[in-house]
Amino acid sequence: MATKHWKQAASLLSAGAMAASLFAVPLTVKADDAVTISFSFDQGVGEATQQMVDAYNESQDKVRVETVILPQDANTVHDDFVNKLASGDTSVDVMGLDVTYISEFGSAGWLADLTDLVDPSLTEGMLTGPVEGATIDGKLVAMPWFTNSSVLFYRSDVLEELGAEVPTTWEGWMELADKAVGVNGVEYGADFQAAQSEALVCNWVEHVWSNGGDILDADGNPVVNSENNIEATELMKKLVDEYAPEGVTTYTETESEQVFKEGKCLFIRDWSGFWSSGQDEGSKVTGKIAATKLPVGPSGTESHTCLGGLDLVINNNIDDEHKAAAADFISYMASPETQKEMTLISSQPPVVESVYTDPEILEAIPFYEEFVDIIATGKSRPLSPQYAKLSDAIQRNIHQALTGEAEVAAAIETLQGELEELNK
Amino acid sequence: MSKRKKARGSLEKTETRDAWIMMTPALICLGVVAVYPILRTFWLSLHEMVLTDPLSGYPFIGLSNYAKIFQDSRALDAILFTLKFTVVTVFFELLLGFASALVMNQGFRAKGLVRAAILIPWAIPTSVSAMMWKFIYNDQYGLFNDVLYRLGVIDSYKAWLSTADGSFMALVITDVWKTAPYMALLILAGLQMVPDEMYEAAKIDGANVFQRFRYVTLPTVKTTVLVALLFRTLDAFRVFDLISVMTGGANGTESISVYAYNNLMKFLDFGYGSSLAVLIFAVVFVISLIYMKLMGNRLTEI
Repeated sequence: MATKHWKQAASLLSAGAMAASLFAVPLTVKADDAVTISFSFDQGVGEATQQMVDAYNESQDKVRVETVILPQDANTVHDDFVNKLASGDTSVDVMGLDVTYISEFGSAGWLADLTDLVDPSLTEGMLTGPVEGATIDGKLVAMPWFTNSSVLFYRSDVLEELGAEVPTTWEGWMELADKAVGVNGVEYGADFQAAQSEALVCNWVEHVWSNGGDILDADGNPVVNSENNIEATELMKKLVDEYAPEGVTTYTETESEQVFKEGKCLFIRDWSGFWSSGQDEGSKVTGKIAATKLPVGPSGTESHTCLGGLDLVINNNIDDEHKAAAADFISYMASPETQKEMTLISSQPPVVESVYTDPEILEAIPFYEEFVDIIATGKSRPLSPQYAKLSDAIQRNIHQALTGEAEVAAAIETLQGELEELNK
Repeated sequence: MSKRKKARGSLEKTETRDAWIMMTPALICLGVVAVYPILRTFWLSLHEMVLTDPLSGYPFIGLSNYAKIFQDSRALDAILFTLKFTVVTVFFELLLGFASALVMNQGFRAKGLVRAAILIPWAIPTSVSAMMWKFIYNDQYGLFNDVLYRLGVIDSYKAWLSTADGSFMALVITDVWKTAPYMALLILAGLQMVPDEMYEAAKIDGANVFQRFRYVTLPTVKTTVLVALLFRTLDAFRVFDLISVMTGGANGTESISVYAYNNLMKFLDFGYGSSLAVLIFAVVFVISLIYMKLMGNRLTEI
């Protein structure tokens, strides 16, 4: 009997302890004036970002930033943020959000208006593309953090072997590819990303833009069904059928990079960061890579890269005190000094223009001299609250055209119809 | 007399009350994790609720979302694909599962080891095995290509996941690989319930091996097989992670769950997405009812 009582007492005690522990956490927080905010972003930029956050925490004692690092996958991050924001959660204050989702989140009313929260001079020194992408109806709802753009990486050793000049058009590259197969282990002329995914959208819009075409006009009406776009898509299909590896319509970045790093391809269209990751340990093409602008299409005059990158946004559900603290933090992250430091550590392309011409930066990343031009002529994917549906329509129809399930012209027509349906 | 009755009544009452008290935590748990989400999904499905359009005020629109399903060719394609996938995979799983259960039911050495080993594919999380198989089908380094090439079946490496037929085949193979063992183990358990005496009696009566299978084995394991089929059919109809990882719904492999997920999480169309989720729930419910009918009331005996 006595043991039973002891057991009861013990279980009561442990239950009490558990209950008490629920309240214990807030008590351990130091009773100083610091406002604690949490900052959530993906692992891809984790290490460098953590260093910046630590530096910020040390630089002042009013705001304390805690980091929540998510997996490196744009969709996972998107879904995590949607879950939190749709339910009015306030556990996250600042988020690193992919630029393509700004419009969607902004129109759902989830993003705090930064227009009066941050110093307007901050965005003045920034590249115009990213700032435009962060603005909805004249309101700044996101702070550009870093950008991203694609380039054409090619095998400099193969071009040297053939004594060839670097082509500037797709036709030029195809002609060169015909000669390059068999040289220094090259099996395929072309390599890019054509799996039914966001990567395909980026690849396709680049072909369209570089061939004088577009997706939406200035008023937001779909203009997909055009001669230029059909020609651009047919060129892409030709690359799939005759130049790229058989499985290119199943490739996202990872798979395409594998084949290129094996030394099997003449060129690859990829994000600028591949400059370092393409020449890491295990790559068979280290020291044999050069980069150039994307080629121009047959009816185009200039090539345009698809801009990517992350913006910093503030959860609209949090109170004013936290918003002010968050604004102070993102202003720090977007300042020219922090941007320069972040670029030196991570080689993520910054949004502050002056960083590209900084002598210290150019010494570390000589590639940036040409790169600033590429970014300046880059374009953003259509800014629309319906972006997810728009992207999905492009993915399905263009993928069908590339795999031959649908005729190119028919697929483009269906796509035009679907986008018009979205606009209603 | 009346006093005794009353006493028993109050005892019963106390017992009933105690039972309710003891079940309350479980009932609350069920309510929170099962009943509430289902009711809430149903409620959302009756509204126009696109999160990117908060100005609409999320109005109640009755059954319009359900009507939309039947005008949406993409949803209908997804339903057709899901049915096709379910029938084909469950058929092969039953075939392979039953065959391997019969083999494992024979006494042989290392029987325990084989039974444990056969469970491995089933124990690996689907998304992990889907990643693995995606690489097996890779057009440059894939094992699948290598094996077929060496056997002389194909004369060059193929990109299996780039065509509609190839993708369907690849998904079926992967699903069968993963879940046939589960089927085998369930059926094996049923086989072990068949008493040896029945086989002996049948032998003495002059039944050959097929007759023994038809008249002794089959009737005894019928219920177990139906239970196994029920589980697999339900799972196959809800297929999501396998497709999401391997093809992302490309090449006409979008299942109804994948489409519902796209509507909910990608397009933030909670109204329409919820109606698709409710549709899945309804179909799964009907499938369960059909199986239960087939089993009679024997489900509870297992």
